[in-house]
Amino acid sequence: MARLLQIFGFLSVVLRGASLTFQSLTVGGVIFLLLVLRGSGRDFEHIKDSCLGWIRRFALALIAMQTSYLVANAFILMQSAEMGLADIIGANFVLAGALGLGACFAVVALSSAGRASSHRGFLLPVAAIIASSVLTSHAMARLEHRLPLVFVTALHQLATAAWLGGLPFLLIAVRRGSSPEFGRQLSARFSRLALMSVAVLASAGLILSFSYVGSLSAIYGTSYGAMVATKAILFGLLLFLGALNFQLVRHGETSFILASLKRFGEAEIGVGVTVILAAASLTSLPPAVDLPQDRVSGPEIYARMTPRPPRLSSPAKKDLPEEVYAAQKRAFEMGSLSTESFVPGQSGTRPNTPAEKAWSEYNHHWAGIIVLSVGFLALLAQTGKSSWARNWPLLFLGLSVFLFLRSDPEVWPLGPNSFWVTFADPEVLLHRVFAALVVALAVFEWRVQTGRVASANIRLVFPMLIAASGALLLTHSHSLGNVKEEVLAELSHIPLAILAVMAGWSRWLELRLPAENQTRAWLTRLWPVCISLIGILLLNYREM
Amino acid sequence: MSPGPRIRVVFLFFVATASLLLGASTFAHAVLLESSPALKSSIPGPDVPLRLRFNVRIDAARSRLTLVDPDGSLQTLEISRKDPPNTISAEARGLLPGVYRLRWQVLASDGHITRGEIPFTVVKP
Repeated sequence: MARLLQIFGFLSVVLRGASLTFQSLTVGGVIFLLLVLRGSGRDFEHIKDSCLGWIRRFALALIAMQTSYLVANAFILMQSAEMGLADIIGANFVLAGALGLGACFAVVALSSAGRASSHRGFLLPVAAIIASSVLTSHAMARLEHRLPLVFVTALHQLATAAWLGGLPFLLIAVRRGSSPEFGRQLSARFSRLALMSVAVLASAGLILSFSYVGSLSAIYGTSYGAMVATKAILFGLLLFLGALNFQLVRHGETSFILASLKRFGEAEIGVGVTVILAAASLTSLPPAVDLPQDRVSGPEIYARMTPRPPRLSSPAKKDLPEEVYAAQKRAFEMGSLSTESFVPGQSGTRPNTPAEKAWSEYNHHWAGIIVLSVGFLALLAQTGKSSWARNWPLLFLGLSVFLFLRSDPEVWPLGPNSFWVTFADPEVLLHRVFAALVVALAVFEWRVQTGRVASANIRLVFPMLIAASGALLLTHSHSLGNVKEEVLAELSHIPLAILAVMAGWSRWLELRLPAENQTRAWLTRLWPVCISLIGILLLNYREM
Repeated sequence: MSPGPRIRVVFLFFVATASLLLGASTFAHAVLLESSPALKSSIPGPDVPLRLRFNVRIDAARSRLTLVDPDGSLQTLEISRKDPPNTISAEARGLLPGVYRLRWQVLASDGHITRGEIPFTVVKP
């Protein structure tokens, strides 16, 4: 039962992230329908039908995610907190979830009614969907300035939906429009909506950051602050892509403008989903203002990040705390490997021993050498002078085996814990998923680089996996209690994640943009440079 | 495959992968800011008021305080209904000198529970 609980606990967090994504898509679709698809004629009617279909699908997906989330969470509470069903039904999250579900069913019903009905009917259920989400946000749980924060959070979510959730609908509309001029007209309308949303998003974001982060030192000194800063950087990346779009709509050549627009839109959606996921993970962190102790200081960051020679020799396995791993094994067998809450003054997480830290640094530094080699060879292959360099993706296979063997020495095959612990410990699971992703990345991209596949789909696997890895790092191991080491580790991971997101989407754009678009020229160089930088940063990764 | 379905497949793949990866974050919703008695402190008995303050509003009706006696036996404490929204309190009566552990479990507004344990020592008044 305890093991089942751990799985449900893990699942409930996954479902929360998926719910936020589908919420943005459903609400974004409705806003697009109401504000961008204004007009009549065959083109409009045809696209409205298509958008209504997608709104319905996203709302159904949201229903599925919300229902699963409620069931999983209720199950967890009944089993672990010994609460009865009657008790759970009155809890805030159930009431909020029920409101959201009712609203989603209304959206499904309205979208099934077709374009004959007035789309204004969507307004109430969409407001209810946002309300259901805000009801379980940080804002609702605050003691001070609760109502203004609730209002600002709702605006923040609404603007996110209008911009990022509306983008896929713009792509659908542009693709289905009968003429380039029609697509351009819709894009211009959406650009105005997006600009407005960006302004609201930025203002609301600033207010929320001020309320939850509180000070400059909390930005780099706490996990919450660092994640907010990451969101701001990714937001900047989105703005850059948006600006490229905006320029295209205003001044581009109609002949290739729409094709370029669609491709930039795809990258924007991808980065946007990453931001939404980072935002979802923020909801699981206590706001920085609540954790004034144990913050990381500027000199501590400087001391940690100062370049030093890489560690190329590993500590022996016998130097690792094997008795601790054995105790973990016993705890797992008894079903008590769950995450404990942090109590101030008490050590919530077992600090790693010096040997464990050296072990981890060695892992990161060798990984850095491999990744730097990948970036360098990819650049070399682009010169066309060394055809053997095209085999660079095979280096990732070595990286995968290395990660699988060494990233978690307490778990099989090196440690006493069985393979099944992988699924109970989120951190181990992440490392294992990452190792599997790297294998997929090596195989697919090697086939692409050496001309073994012509399929456009296969070529997209590499950028997708790189971008997904960036998202993985952003959600990596958040500490409950602002333990300094966790924050410092997070500060090392964040630049890697941002570079991975940039590498993935620049490669995507290189593959997808029409040949006439001159942006491709520098995008071709950008992604290997990002990969090389990841390698360099890994080479200077420190845990002590 | 036409460009339309291709984009959808790739997009959904990304959403699914990224959602899976999101599972990494631990859920941390109510953080204990201070407690009385404090962690590992000594307090005179036999009646001990217990008070825990959190960083956010909590659902007191669905939260729980349990006292683990020196002999390991458990007693569920009745939580007061008169506290501020981010606080729970109770009173443990008739405690003999010894080392006790206060187990707390609170439900936050987002439906997640957090729990912890505060060891403290009861001394003669």
